[in-house]
Amino acid sequence: MTYLTSAEVSEAMADIGPVEAIRRNRVQVTTTPGRIRAALRSATSRLQCDHLVQIATIDTGHEFELFYLLTGAHRTVLSIRTLLPRDRPKIRSVHDLLPPAGIYERQIHDLLGITFDGHPNLGRIILNEDWPEGEFPLRKDWKMDPAKSYGGAPEEVR
Amino acid sequence: MSLSKRLVSWARQKSPWIILFNSGACNACDIEVLAALTPRFDVERLGILAKGTPRHADILIVTGPVTRKQGKRLRMIYDQMPEPKYVLAMGACGATGGVFKGLYHVLDGVDAVIPPDMYVAGCPPRPDEIIDGIVKILGLIEQDMAHGGKEWRAKRKAVPQPLEVAP
Repeated sequence: MTYLTSAEVSEAMADIGPVEAIRRNRVQVTTTPGRIRAALRSATSRLQCDHLVQIATIDTGHEFELFYLLTGAHRTVLSIRTLLPRDRPKIRSVHDLLPPAGIYERQIHDLLGITFDGHPNLGRIILNEDWPEGEFPLRKDWKMDPAKSYGGAPEEVR
Repeated sequence: MSLSKRLVSWARQKSPWIILFNSGACNACDIEVLAALTPRFDVERLGILAKGTPRHADILIVTGPVTRKQGKRLRMIYDQMPEPKYVLAMGACGATGGVFKGLYHVLDGVDAVIPPDMYVAGCPPRPDEIIDGIVKILGLIEQDMAHGGKEWRAKRKAVPQPLEVAP
C-alpha cells in the first residue's frame, strides 16, 4: 500500500475542513469540535484508518488543541486537529467509534480538565485518588498552592 | 551482652533478606539491584536473599521518589515487615526526590513516608555501592542490638548551652 495523498484525504474529508500535507506520510485535517465524530467516521471507513495512535493535547494558553492521530495499513498518519475554547472545554467522546480513545480521553480529562460528553467513566486514572477536585496540573496557568494538600501521604504523616 | 543476645545479634547479621520496592523510580536503580543479585556480583553467596513478600524481609530497599499514588502503598509494605526492620533509600531520588523534587505528583524523598536508616548516593548507585550500603546496615543492626533499639540514633534537637562567662 502507498501513502495517502492529500487529494485523497481532501476528497474523503470534503465537508470536514481544510486539509494540508505536513510531511510525506502525514496529512492534517483541521475541523471544529462539532464535526469530530464525522471526521473520525470518515477516516475509519473511507480512508481505512483502523488504529488510533494517540490523542495529543496542547494547552497554548488561549485554547486547547486536540490532535487525533490515526493510522492504518497505508502507514500515513492522519492528524485530525480541533480547537477547544479554554472557558468551555467540552467535546463529544469518540470511545464508541474507536474503543482505545476511551482511555486517552480519561487521561486528558484527569490532567487537563477537558470533558468528553458521552464517555462512560471519566474517573481518575493518573492522579492519586485523593487529589483535590478542579486542579489540572498540565494546564499552563496551573500553579501548586503550597498551603493546599494534594493528598497521597498516608494518614499519620499528613 | 548476654549469650542469648549475642546469638540473636549474630543470627540477624548472618543473612539479611531484602525486598525491593519501586516507589516511582525510572528503573535504573532497580536494574542495579538486579545486577547485584545476578552472577556478576551474586550477593546470594553472602547470604543476602531477595524475597517476594515484605513479611519475610529484614531490609526494604526503596528506589525512587515517592509518588502520591505510591505513598500509602509504601507505608503498607513497611508496616507488614516484622521488627527489626531497616530501610535503604536508594539514589538521589530516594534521598530527596532528585530531579522530581517539588513536582505535582511526588512527595519527594522516602523520608516523607517512612524513616530510612541508610542512604546510598548515586544516580543510579553501582551494585557494589548497594552491597556496601547493606553491609553498613548490618553494622547498624549490631549497634542497635547493643543499644537496645533504634532510639539512640534518633536526631535530637541541639540544646543551647549557656555561655561560660569568664569571671
